[in-house]
Amino acid sequence: MASRYIIIDMPNDKSKKQVLAIVPAYNEQDNIVSTIEDLRKNAPEVDYVIINDGSTDNTLEVCEEHGFNTISLPVNSGLACGFQTGMQYALMHDYDYAVQFDADGQHAAEFIQAMLDLAENENLDIVIGSRFKTQKKPKTNPRMIGSILITRMILWTTRIRISDPTSGMRLFNKRMIKLFAHESDFSPEPDTIAHVARNGAKIDEIQVEMRERTAGTSYLNISRSIAYMLRVCISILFVQWFRKKNQ
Amino acid sequence: MIQIGLRLALIIGAILMLAYVLNKIRKSQLLTNDAVFWFIFAGCLVVIAVFPQIAFWLSDLIGIQSPVNLVFLVIVAILIIKLLSMSVENAKLKQKTDRLVQHIALQDKRDESDNSTTSE
Repeated sequence: MASRYIIIDMPNDKSKKQVLAIVPAYNEQDNIVSTIEDLRKNAPEVDYVIINDGSTDNTLEVCEEHGFNTISLPVNSGLACGFQTGMQYALMHDYDYAVQFDADGQHAAEFIQAMLDLAENENLDIVIGSRFKTQKKPKTNPRMIGSILITRMILWTTRIRISDPTSGMRLFNKRMIKLFAHESDFSPEPDTIAHVARNGAKIDEIQVEMRERTAGTSYLNISRSIAYMLRVCISILFVQWFRKKNQ
Repeated sequence: MIQIGLRLALIIGAILMLAYVLNKIRKSQLLTNDAVFWFIFAGCLVVIAVFPQIAFWLSDLIGIQSPVNLVFLVIVAILIIKLLSMSVENAKLKQKTDRLVQHIALQDKRDESDNSTTSE
């Protein structure tokens, strides 16, 4: 049964690296069309799949109307579950790279090619689209305190400097696709990045520009930001040491 | 000395707990396996209330001055263990629903592309 689909969807040109953009979407009816248009226009070589995470608005209807390639989760299950679904899809269809791409319009598709080139040339496992690789972090911005703290913690625990750990724009190679598709509790978050880094994944960053949200409201308000920070920090500092190594 | 008030409170608490558990079982909102824990727990509270000598004897043995503290300590310890095991149970359930959700979503996707390829 399964093999049939793999044959149908097998990339026909093997020399060209196949890349899949995984776009998790929860209640993004106002942003999803412009996000996919950006991908089609500025990264035409890249395939995409929208993971509709049980949206309660018209995200799914909008996607179907436009004929977008969509996978719809039957119930809202969270970013980690949705992203993992995307990774399973990438594995199933034998993609060489998968890029995590936000549906809210923050990420710009024009940078995917540069991320891909870096990953291929340096044979990297993960390339992060960083806002602060060459540009200085605005240290006066209170929202950056968390970012600085996470960077420090990852540096302490893995000896790797990740200038923009909270960036949601990350490119994963095939080895990481397999890992993220199968392991449970592998959320696309800084603590998981620190965990795979400690287990020998090769990670680098490339400077990208990000936009402010175009529509809708950000998921992170103050109390959620604090809860997020606590979770990620405790996870990096304590929990990750006890996870089984799998590489 | 365990005072009569605390003994009464333990018994009333146990009765209320039992009533709650039985009601939930009747409505099929609680698994029999989980109900067993609460039956035994309620039973222990009643035993301590009726025979406080057990608490005296045990607190003497361990060296806790007030038997009341021993009763509280044991109850808190049991509940913490219960909470931790429920945390584990919860994680397992989340993992299972995630797997199911992913399976269904990918299956739907396959069916959909299957239909589109056969109709072409």
